[in-house]
Amino acid sequence: MNKQGLIKIKPYLLVLPALALAFLFCYRPFFLTVINSLSNVSLGGKRTAFVGFDNYGRLFSNASFQDSLSNTLRFTLFFVPTNIAVCLGAALLCNRKGKLASLNQVFMFLPMAVAMSSSMMMFKMMFNPSIGIMNHLLNSDIQWFSDPKAAMFLLVMAGVWLDIGFDFLLLSSALRNVPKELLEVSNLEGANPWQTFTALQLPLIGPTLLFILVNNVKDAMLISAPVLILTEGGPFRSTQTLVYQMYLEGFKSGNYALGSTIATVVFALTFIIMLLLLSLERKRVYYQ
Amino acid sequence: MKKFTPLLATLFSLIVVFPIVYSFSASFFSYTDFTSIPPRFFSSQPTFSNYTRAFLESNLAGFLSNSLITATMGTLIRLSISILTAYTFTFFTFKGRDVLFVLIIATMLLPGDALLIENFITIRHLGLIDTYLGIISTSLLAPTHIFMIRQYFKMVSSEYREAAIIEGCSDSRFLITLLLPISQGVVITLALQSFTGIFNDYLWPLLVTNKESMRTVQVGITMLGFSENLDYGPQFAAITLLMTPVLIAFILLNKNIKESVSTRFTGR
Repeated sequence: MNKQGLIKIKPYLLVLPALALAFLFCYRPFFLTVINSLSNVSLGGKRTAFVGFDNYGRLFSNASFQDSLSNTLRFTLFFVPTNIAVCLGAALLCNRKGKLASLNQVFMFLPMAVAMSSSMMMFKMMFNPSIGIMNHLLNSDIQWFSDPKAAMFLLVMAGVWLDIGFDFLLLSSALRNVPKELLEVSNLEGANPWQTFTALQLPLIGPTLLFILVNNVKDAMLISAPVLILTEGGPFRSTQTLVYQMYLEGFKSGNYALGSTIATVVFALTFIIMLLLLSLERKRVYYQ
Repeated sequence: MKKFTPLLATLFSLIVVFPIVYSFSASFFSYTDFTSIPPRFFSSQPTFSNYTRAFLESNLAGFLSNSLITATMGTLIRLSISILTAYTFTFFTFKGRDVLFVLIIATMLLPGDALLIENFITIRHLGLIDTYLGIISTSLLAPTHIFMIRQYFKMVSSEYREAAIIEGCSDSRFLITLLLPISQGVVITLALQSFTGIFNDYLWPLLVTNKESMRTVQVGITMLGFSENLDYGPQFAAITLLMTPVLIAFILLNKNIKESVSTRFTGR
């Protein structure tokens, strides 16, 4: 090949690794997942027949899937508002100056330094009903892992703990960016803290809140690894989520077709929710 | 209300940090400390035996070395690919450039967890189960990294590169001697982020490793075999050992962390 030709193809060669990875580990599996959801798939991962929407019919009448779907939606519904309220509360309380305030801030984001699996092991041991510290502290006898309501509550708390560090940092920095002059004016005009928050701070941190909301909804819809470590979907499938069931079907039962069908439903659900939230963004949130 | 803010904030932050403090303290507990009534926060006779047991009675050291190897390998390859790709998309003009760029960035929209089954089948076909390459394979492409590095590279006019090339400077020399030094900050941040990200990954390494000797530490730590027997001391010791270096780094770098989050996500 002549030199001119080499110069022409050089940029393509340079981006080839990234493109190959995108194809191999994102686009190809995505299309194969969708195709598998419309086929029968053998244990070896080979498609044996095209079956149309049969898998979807089977899936939606599958009791286990109905549980997963309702659990995932319930988890999202409990987790997202709780997490935003807790993180926003934390950020507002720590939005001060001084040594104590910066110590408070460090404590709030430290959970970010603990890896997910370590955190969940910590929770698992601390919430052990007989020898865990939590029941002693609360002076209670809650069966965290065999009472469906308690298990869901525990999962929501664990989710908040996993997220608080990062969301707290985002919200604190958004609050710090609210201009001091505006806060002083509202103080002079006699606004109480609630009025200052709703009329001044809330609209200004709107974009950050929306970013957190979108990410929280996405994370909540996809939650699986914390379930796997903490509750294993139990008791009685009460914390079995969509991606966790996908994992069970694909890797424990070798049911690739059903697993792929769940994955496709997850793609569709997250996509729809993202679109809804983004259209909400256009209507509601003002930018500075 | 204003008066109570510091008090409330302190109380709140203590609740948040409690699991970390408790794990640290419990890693020095003896077996009876866990079952004593009323419950203990501090051990009656602190013991190091949990730490020695965590190492001697499980493969913790092996898990740890697997994680260090994969995180280092993964970070180096991921950053090299990101830098190379960002460089090409910033300084070259070629047919289909924008489409290809969007194609790479749009992979962010596909949730990785929903791709697990197919990616697992791919890795099995390639014979990469129980290999380091298999563990890092799905983390090698980082669209956010490519995007951010490109933002930095864009600050350098492409005329500089053209001038340098005419003067006989090669692309690799231009990249190494000029571009990388000026984007050092972002590259180091992304390297740290990559390292902790790959080090802390759980579900994928769990799926692609069958042999105990190939497990990474975040997977291994859930399977040490202590907590199942309600033998919590060594389990807390292993967790403490893993989190302490990161906690120290976070406390020392807390100002930088606050700043980097605020500039990256809210500094639009």
